Amino acid sequence: MVVSLLLAIPAAAGLWLVTGGRALPLAAARLLSATAVGLTLVLSLAAAVSRQGIDRPWLPDLGVRFSFGVDGIAVPLVLLTAAIGALVVAHAWVEVPEGGTPATFLGCLLLVEAGALATFTARDAILFFVAFELVLVPMWVLISRYGDRHDDQARADAGHRFVLYTAFGSTLMLVGILALVTFTGTSDLRELAAGAGAALPPDRQLLVAALLVTGLAVKVPVFPVHTWLPPAHTIAPTAGSVLLAAVLLKMGTYGLVRLPVATVPDGFARLSPVLAVLGVVGIVWGALVCLVERDLKRLIAYSSVAHMGFVVLALAAGTETGLQAALFANIAHGVVSALLFVLVGGLKQRWGTVDLSVARPALRETSPRLGFVLVLGLAASLGLPGLAGFWGELLAVYAAWAPADNRPRALFVGCAVVAAVGAALAAAYALRVARRVWVGDVPEPEAGTTRDTRGVEAVVLTTLALGVVVLGVLPGPLLAVTADAVARIGGAR
Amino acid sequence: MTDPVPVGVDAVILAPALLPALAAVLVLVGDALLPGRRRWPPLLGIAVLLVAAGAALATGLRPASEPLRTLCLPAPDGACLWTAGPATGTLQAGILLAGAAALALLHDAGGGPRDTTVTTTLLLAAATGGAGVAASRDIGAWLVTLELATVPLVALVALRGTRTAAHGALTLLVTSVTSFALLVLGSALWLTATGDAAFAADTVSAAWGDPERRTVLVLAVTVLLCGLGFKLSLVPFHAWTPQAYSTADIGTAAALATMSKVSAAAGLLVVASALTGTGPDAGRVSVVVGIVAAASMLLGNVVALRQDDATRLLAWSTVAQAGWVVLPVAALSASGIRASAAYVLVYALATMVAFAAVARVGPGPLARFRGLLRRDRLTGGALALALLVLAGLPPGVIGLVAKVVALGPAVDAGLWPLVVVAVVAVVLGVAVYLRWFALLLGEPAEDVPSEGRGGGSRAVLVLGTALLVLLSALPALLLDLLS
Repeated sequence: MVVSLLLAIPAAAGLWLVTGGRALPLAAARLLSATAVGLTLVLSLAAAVSRQGIDRPWLPDLGVRFSFGVDGIAVPLVLLTAAIGALVVAHAWVEVPEGGTPATFLGCLLLVEAGALATFTARDAILFFVAFELVLVPMWVLISRYGDRHDDQARADAGHRFVLYTAFGSTLMLVGILALVTFTGTSDLRELAAGAGAALPPDRQLLVAALLVTGLAVKVPVFPVHTWLPPAHTIAPTAGSVLLAAVLLKMGTYGLVRLPVATVPDGFARLSPVLAVLGVVGIVWGALVCLVERDLKRLIAYSSVAHMGFVVLALAAGTETGLQAALFANIAHGVVSALLFVLVGGLKQRWGTVDLSVARPALRETSPRLGFVLVLGLAASLGLPGLAGFWGELLAVYAAWAPADNRPRALFVGCAVVAAVGAALAAAYALRVARRVWVGDVPEPEAGTTRDTRGVEAVVLTTLALGVVVLGVLPGPLLAVTADAVARIGGAR
Repeated sequence: MTDPVPVGVDAVILAPALLPALAAVLVLVGDALLPGRRRWPPLLGIAVLLVAAGAALATGLRPASEPLRTLCLPAPDGACLWTAGPATGTLQAGILLAGAAALALLHDAGGGPRDTTVTTTLLLAAATGGAGVAASRDIGAWLVTLELATVPLVALVALRGTRTAAHGALTLLVTSVTSFALLVLGSALWLTATGDAAFAADTVSAAWGDPERRTVLVLAVTVLLCGLGFKLSLVPFHAWTPQAYSTADIGTAAALATMSKVSAAAGLLVVASALTGTGPDAGRVSVVVGIVAAASMLLGNVVALRQDDATRLLAWSTVAQAGWVVLPVAALSASGIRASAAYVLVYALATMVAFAAVARVGPGPLARFRGLLRRDRLTGGALALALLVLAGLPPGVIGLVAKVVALGPAVDAGLWPLVVVAVVAVVLGVAVYLRWFALLLGEPAEDVPSEGRGGGSRAVLVLGTALLVLLSALPALLLDLLS
């Protein structure tokens, strides 16, 4: 019951806002969405505590069941999604982009939230795929209708690139799922994880794992199929960028944990060296691009590529520590990137562009609160101890240093070393941004000052900043939530 | 099969085909008695088609183990010329409903044809043929009903009377005749290979065991597929499609795109059901079917990407979707046949809604649709949903489920090259339909003339959309009807 409502409320409110309620004035639409996301947040807490699910036949012909529920792996992501959903709707008090009616904009945000929640709670592989596809159209509308108004062509291009890449990836994943279902005779993720998949012969496991990993790699994204991400994040409105970085990318890594890692462990083990190397290339590539990128929003997008590289590396290591690291880094990146995108979106709104080459007065002087949050976000992003980013990256590098027995140790140790270098590069680009924006240039006489954050924006930023600090100081509770489920996946191997 | 009656004829079982045929006669007689009344024939036609669809659907609700049989021959083995299981009944219902919708579009207020008697009779005849071919199990009835499902539509294209329409009709006629010739040749080869005038799995199984007869059978299937390829608009037999669609009026184009395609798919499935008797070693047949499916999906989508005219885009979309209809058939399994039936029905429903929307906006360049969602919420919303179903993107869940169902048997049979092509086709298809979808969302263009069509297209739009929404919420409804 709780889970049904958790999915139904944002879905129903979102659907109504994009169809019947399209013409609703901003205030009413905002109030409705805020109520919906508020209820969803409460329900997500209730679902996390009660752990109830629903399970009924959906496509009896194919043996697909309408089965949703939460376990240790899903709980943090469900909570993250509900929280980020509430924050992006709250952000509508700060900025509602042009390009359509405000009700449609808010409706699309709610639909993305509903789709993500369905993905994280689905307990059937084919249902997971359907939920995975749910976010595509609303997100495409957010990017291509409500994105950056400067360049129509770039906006359409970014939207199309996002949809086509993701559709390609998810269809490949579907083929993998269908192969898995054909070989094992069940699409229930719990049965598959409990050994139905692991019992397959090695070549079939490899085939399924290759299809699933390739398909999901597009969504994560893993180098070299990350090229949809920078334009999508850069063009999307602030709320869209936040949802993309904090929620949508997590669907990819969550899928990797749920599908190949849990169901076909041996097949995944054979692919993991490739995945580890690609993850490390992503870390270094993302960091190097960040060192020269001039657009701050695009820079944050590329830093996402680097951070997801750590998650992939940790997953590839194949140990329980690795899984824990991946899940932790997932959540940490969700909070940190949300913080940075809200901040950069705010700066873009104030300045018009966020080109780093434009000389601007120091943020620390003109708007100290924004400046503080920027420094906090950058520090968390480079993995400073005591902040959210630290544990995920530390554990990821550690997991690569001591991979599972069936992984080539030398290769993984090499990857761990390169990943550590990548983390150092992250420090370099974070300091570069801090110097350009926080320290700033000598203000020219005519350059206006930057309005400091206040009101709802300050609340959103404070909440995210608190999340960054709490996760950094107290990683224990989150690691404990995922520990049981991770042990179960580890035990199935 | 111990039917004591020499040839049993059960009118109730035959209702899906008999009712439209009777209605066609009634329309002709009525017109002779009361000439000049234009309004009643289409209304009668629609009513009868709806009743017939209801009768067919009742067949669809019966368990698969007890198909309805009639027109059974006495000896030697008492094959029944009419065998209707659940899948047959549902396909018939689809054909008849598509016929009713096409009639409604054709006789929408304003731009209707002059002679409603003729158009109604022709559409009813085509519907009769479609309902017949779905249930036929012997070569003779199959050939005749398949032609009956096609030829009246050629006349409908020609009836428009313009020079381009005559040209389109001529192309269609030549295509149709070629297709018929190929079908006859294929049937003859089939008869040679299996020694059986019916499409039956056991005789195919026997023929498959003999290498020489197997070669003839593969040839027969290839030739039959070529013949059906014309009717289904499969590459390389698709060339007539864009021309015929764009020269015919919108109702006829809708009938060609939906009713005619479901009829042809039903005809294909009759043959494919027999071919499941070849057993697991059906590689060569799968290759033939697979090549055609792959070529249609790729070429149809790639060309559709470049179209700027709504009707032509729908024509090329038909070509691409026909590939998807044939894709699961390549697996030559019972689940593949069900998947193909499900896919063609979903395609026909979404395409009919799209045609109804085009009828309301008026055929022409895609630019006419700019901002439709804001100008006309009903038409815009319906078209948006139809396009998402065709693309296979939620909220058009039924389109996505149809693609999942269609890919399943191919993965099951291990047809990996075909599956890879299908993945590429999904991406291309998303690009095709999203291009149109993006226009609907855009800013409304100024001074776009509104066609102001009547109740027919509105009814098709509303009912079709309601059905799409219902099936998207409960996709199991359709799949249950087919098994």
